[in-house]
Amino acid sequence: MPLLAQAAAQLAPTQGVTVALAFSAALFCVGLVGFLVRRNMILMFLCTELMLQAAAIAFIAFGRMRMDTGGQVFVIFILTVAAAEAALALGLVVLLYRRRETLSAEAWQELHE
Amino acid sequence: MNPTDTISSAPLMPFYIAAAIAAAGLLFVLRPARGNLRRAGTVIGLAGFGMLLAQAIKLAGPSESSISTPFYMVFAAIGIIGAVRVITHPRPVFAAIYFVVTVIAAAAIFLMLQAEFLAFALIIVYAGAILITYMFVLMLAHQSPEDEIGRIGDEDYDRIPREPMVAVLLGFFMLAALGAVIERAPELAMENATIAQTRMVTRSANALQSMPLAMLAQARLKEPTAISLAKDASGNSGGNSSDNFGGNSASSASTWDGTMLQVRVNTEDNEVRCVAVDPAQCIDNVQLVGLDLIAKYPASLELAGVILLMAMFGAVVLARRQIELGDDERRRAAGMSSMVLDLPETERGGN
Repeated sequence: MPLLAQAAAQLAPTQGVTVALAFSAALFCVGLVGFLVRRNMILMFLCTELMLQAAAIAFIAFGRMRMDTGGQVFVIFILTVAAAEAALALGLVVLLYRRRETLSAEAWQELHE
Repeated sequence: MNPTDTISSAPLMPFYIAAAIAAAGLLFVLRPARGNLRRAGTVIGLAGFGMLLAQAIKLAGPSESSISTPFYMVFAAIGIIGAVRVITHPRPVFAAIYFVVTVIAAAAIFLMLQAEFLAFALIIVYAGAILITYMFVLMLAHQSPEDEIGRIGDEDYDRIPREPMVAVLLGFFMLAALGAVIERAPELAMENATIAQTRMVTRSANALQSMPLAMLAQARLKEPTAISLAKDASGNSGGNSSDNFGGNSASSASTWDGTMLQVRVNTEDNEVRCVAVDPAQCIDNVQLVGLDLIAKYPASLELAGVILLMAMFGAVVLARRQIELGDDERRRAAGMSSMVLDLPETERGGN
């Protein structure tokens, strides 16, 4: 048991994990602001990628804190979702761009065609 | 009243102030204003973010500072600068490149958090695959218009932000709300530190026991003459490790006493020796994540496959519609009637 306690003291995640969590929170908020502020449809989706990234960092940090690899496994799924989202969203954006010849999200304020 | 009580009753106040300063800086940076104001905004925002990280460290409690903390802070700062450039840069292509900066900073933080596999997976998948897709579409769709002098300008919708005030306010509230989580994290970590370490070692031991080849390799480090895992008394499997992977085939050749894994191996001179192996140093991150992924979340793994398949179908369907649209436009340009109106019923139903 003293060996375990020693190892725990060595590996106890403290400051690094909190800094990573603060970074994750700030990154998520920047992504959120970006999604609201950006008017280019592609960059709006890029901002959702920022938010996904922030979620991944939070998963890793909490997983490190609890010494649970489940957090890392979930980040793999986040990567999957991000890849699927990129493929679909960009396909849609290209479709919309062909119709209006602009990437501005405001071109689609009225959705009837 | 004890002054420490008042401090502990509002431990998040400095965090909120730091978040407000960072938000104000972000607001200045977002405004399409003159250079000076933006520069001031950058300084204010970075100062706010630095205060934010300092507050996070203070919230971490009276732990001894580790060497890696400055590295965390540096990479966090790089990541945030990249992210802010993503949402402020007037050129979309540059915004996408700055996203790579954020991805690399996040990967560095993953590395320091001992998620080595995902650090590189992140760079390969995000910076390598997803970002290239974004760049491809950006370059496909985005042509900067030239103004009357012939200089390439930026689109209005890339230069002028939409409702920066409201957005920043919302972001500030979001950050303030997340502060509560950050505050609770350190005490959770402290409570869990020893338990988590025990869990880690136990889990490594279990993982090692279900991987006979890895177990034999680890035993060989201590006992170079080992040729195979020993059979147990009842003659069960665990003998030739190369052809019985999976299950708990090797567990009969090993016992776990809480700190060390006792592995029984056959040596070259036909003896059975017992070797003590420290599981915490045997299983690396990739093996643990892989085993977790397969053994604990098989349904989620299948679901991820279905999601990717659906994304592929969706992309194919979207691309097919684009081709039809192209035909339609060509017909209209040639003065013929639109194809959409006189599509045969079967094709219209197919969409």
